[in-house]
Amino acid sequence: MSKRSLGLRSIGVAAVIMAVVVLLKLAPVPRAEDAVRAGPAPKTPWGEPDLQGIWTNNYEIPLQRPARYANKEFFTDEERAELDQQRTSIIDRQANETRRTRGTEQDVSGAYNQAIFVTHKHVGRRTSLIVDPPDGRIPPLTPEAQKRRDAIRTFQLALLQATDTCKNKLPGCAGGTYGPPSPRRAEAPPYYLATGAMGGGSINRADGPEDRTLGERCMGAILPDFGGLAGFFPQIVQSPGTLSIFYDTGQGQGWQRVIPLTGRSHLPSHLRQWWGDSRGHWEGNTLVVDVTNFTPKTDFQGSRENLHLVERWTRLDANTLEYAVTIEDATTWTRPWTVKLELNKQSDQTNRVYKEPRCHEGNFGMTALLAGARAEERAFAAGRGPDPATLCSAGCGGFAAGFADSGEESNPLTN
Amino acid sequence: MQNRFIASLIVVAIAAAVVTAVVTVRLTQPGRAAAATAARTVDGKPDFSGVWQVLNEAHWDLQAHDARPGAVTQRGVYPFDYVQVPAAPVLALGAAGGVPGSVGVVEGDGQIPYTTEAAAIKKENAEHWIDRDPELKCYLPGIPRAMYMPYPFQIVQGTNKIQMAFAFTSTARTIHLDQVEAPPDDTYMGHSVGRWEGDTLVVDVTGFNGKNWFDRAGNFHSDALHLVERFTPITRDAIHYEVTVEDPKVFTRPWKISMPLYRRLEPNAQLLEYRCMEFVEEFLWGNLRKQQLVKRWEGETIIVDITRKVPPADKLHDWYRR
Repeated sequence: MSKRSLGLRSIGVAAVIMAVVVLLKLAPVPRAEDAVRAGPAPKTPWGEPDLQGIWTNNYEIPLQRPARYANKEFFTDEERAELDQQRTSIIDRQANETRRTRGTEQDVSGAYNQAIFVTHKHVGRRTSLIVDPPDGRIPPLTPEAQKRRDAIRTFQLALLQATDTCKNKLPGCAGGTYGPPSPRRAEAPPYYLATGAMGGGSINRADGPEDRTLGERCMGAILPDFGGLAGFFPQIVQSPGTLSIFYDTGQGQGWQRVIPLTGRSHLPSHLRQWWGDSRGHWEGNTLVVDVTNFTPKTDFQGSRENLHLVERWTRLDANTLEYAVTIEDATTWTRPWTVKLELNKQSDQTNRVYKEPRCHEGNFGMTALLAGARAEERAFAAGRGPDPATLCSAGCGGFAAGFADSGEESNPLTN
Repeated sequence: MQNRFIASLIVVAIAAAVVTAVVTVRLTQPGRAAAATAARTVDGKPDFSGVWQVLNEAHWDLQAHDARPGAVTQRGVYPFDYVQVPAAPVLALGAAGGVPGSVGVVEGDGQIPYTTEAAAIKKENAEHWIDRDPELKCYLPGIPRAMYMPYPFQIVQGTNKIQMAFAFTSTARTIHLDQVEAPPDDTYMGHSVGRWEGDTLVVDVTGFNGKNWFDRAGNFHSDALHLVERFTPITRDAIHYEVTVEDPKVFTRPWKISMPLYRRLEPNAQLLEYRCMEFVEEFLWGNLRKQQLVKRWEGETIIVDITRKVPPADKLHDWYRR
């Protein structure tokens, strides 16, 4: 491969990763149980529960309960200390210790080690954000959803099969086999590629912007948002009849949500939006928001246009906002499931929310990715480089070619 | 196919068509009697919460301008600047591709007091509108431009913050009614701090990065931009909006624009997404596709072939036979 294309590719990969990853360095926060009980939940001057302010989750809790904590809803204090110690050692490890052979595809794709994907937050009390089903796991997919997932996975593997990732049986090729370049490289994907910011389902192709993940396209923000690896800061402002939330999320992929508190019915069903259509109302002290009308271009854990959310926002006390969301899609999961997230009030001064820098205005990563792919094609055509089908220029299964969430690098909360 | 590119041009054209040639009525400074009908918060301040939108042509050009046949034009058969024909990017859109005239929103003599050097840049900007305007790239529109784009925006007036949510690219601004330190770096949308002067919300905006324009005519500013906005209720459903613009790097003196903001009175008014990042991917990266969709790119230059088929019933002989 030419030096130029490798250079372009590294810039592209680095820029894209920088665009989606933020290392959250929160000041140490007191453990909830140590804190003096906060004051009562305030009300607005017009008498509604006051949810206003900047919020985030101060504690790290995995979405799904790790298998080894099955049937255990809460960690003990000893377990939390142990997990924090393990996560700290990942963060403290020098990047050099985990680098692959310099200049290889693995090294370039895995320019970051696991440390950058571990937040600096303490582990929380719960073993999973999912509170229902009681096992803390996402319910099984329906056969229909499994079929969609398999179709995309088969397509991904077809685009990987001529690469070293499959030749060397790396984790990114799981389920596939090594072979000659697939004719499917010329095909459109079976479904709109709505891969999230972390690129877990990205395809090894960069024919145009649509081949890239929503994160790389600066459109990674989705509902529901639990902060993920990059963390988030919802900023809430409310007036009688309306509640607005600016989601500072995905490092510059933030967006503004407006929730009408109205008895009016949802938008006509043929109107479809990335963040759906929200309708809120008060039930006692809880704001209940019903969200429908999602576009088929969005993807939350495999659910697309049939995603239905019922969110419940409750201010428990001056410092705490509880966010519970029931997630339902009969075409995707065998049953509804519920996630509960405790949000902690942030200081207006310490964690000020800006509407930028925004990913899109500086998205030279996309330019570099596409330009790099074209340079490789030209080099191949001129007999100066390998067949692009054998390269991982666009990522062999997200970052899986570079590192896997296994072994000593592994985050104990997600492996 | 090229239809996609044409579709993106149609978006621009529709924006023009929606705001048809409405002559701007300069409203007098709202008086006390009018403000008496304004909506009020529980603490007695004017309540600006709601969905709002301007009804003017300021997004095309803040200054008074004649209507013209296209958002982009070129010289036709006459060698005079006042007889232009639509240029290729909007040619197929016919009357939907033109620009409505306006008496302008710049107060006083209607002039924008550019320095000599800045006036030359403004002229160049206008000549290279398609190449340079950040709006076309779906960049954050900045203030004041976001306030008079042809899309609705929603004001949510909280107790110590006023949030403004814009349909265009789902962006927002927060007006801090309390003291909050400015961002550590310059921004597209600026840093807004508000205070009440009687019934008027006065907002001081600073911290700009100088990458925004005021309109599609190439009017621009630098990172030294300082705005003072004044929002005053006229009635329950109209706000008098004025902005004093100061930027010593670009203008020789402060100048002012003003216009009414109108409440969207439809009972089902709500912001819908205009997530234009997706819409502009072809515009931004089409030349880097493996297989080009728009015929044709030459390097980083788009050269568009336009398709407009004359429907059979429009042909002269069909009309004559009827």
